[in-house]
Amino acid sequence: MNFWETITGSDLTREWKAFEDRAKALPDEYRAAWEEIKGHLFPHGDFTGRNLMPILDSALGLLEETAADGQSVHEVLGDDIRGFCTALVGGEGARTYRDRWREQLNRDVARKLSRLGG
Amino acid sequence: MDDLTEMLKGTLEGCVLEIIGSEETYGYAITRRLNELGFADVVEGTVYTILLRLERNGRVQVTKRPSGVGPPRKFYALNEAGREELAKFWAKWQYVSSRIDRLKEGGK
Repeated sequence: MNFWETITGSDLTREWKAFEDRAKALPDEYRAAWEEIKGHLFPHGDFTGRNLMPILDSALGLLEETAADGQSVHEVLGDDIRGFCTALVGGEGARTYRDRWREQLNRDVARKLSRLGG
Repeated sequence: MDDLTEMLKGTLEGCVLEIIGSEETYGYAITRRLNELGFADVVEGTVYTILLRLERNGRVQVTKRPSGVGPPRKFYALNEAGREELAKFWAKWQYVSSRIDRLKEGGK
């Protein structure tokens, strides 16, 4: 990733396009699951969503492998797509909105305290 | 038996390690094995997230092999760290199950 790509996120746009192309090749019920997975993962994204790319890639990989096997989405993901997504991002270093809010709050409090002290 | 998932949560990783430990295998086969054992609620996605974690923590060796149809399959084998982890799992399991059995028998 070069500087230009870092600034513009043009590499991400390209990666997105590649993901969506791969998703288009999936059977219908798999495509629906992919949409749902994206919905559950987005809140875990950082500012650009860059941290989600490897996670989305692995999730899509699983869908592709299992679709090729002819399994049903239910056999693969069960009823708990949200739980699957949580397990995917868990420990992956992907942070959630909540973490960021907490950090922001801590920062603000620290700043106000230091202002009082100074 | 239904609703085993909650109870299984802490031990599923150990079960997956054990299955990989007996022979190099892939996600779908691991899931089927667990289903045969009677863990009907376990789906491939569950196993997949465990495999990702094992891979990330360096417990398994991963080999990609072409499959008949579709993308190549990932095969998993235990490495040295994985074998150690598996031994630890059985030691912990032994500990927990012996205490729980004792509790059930009302012993001291």
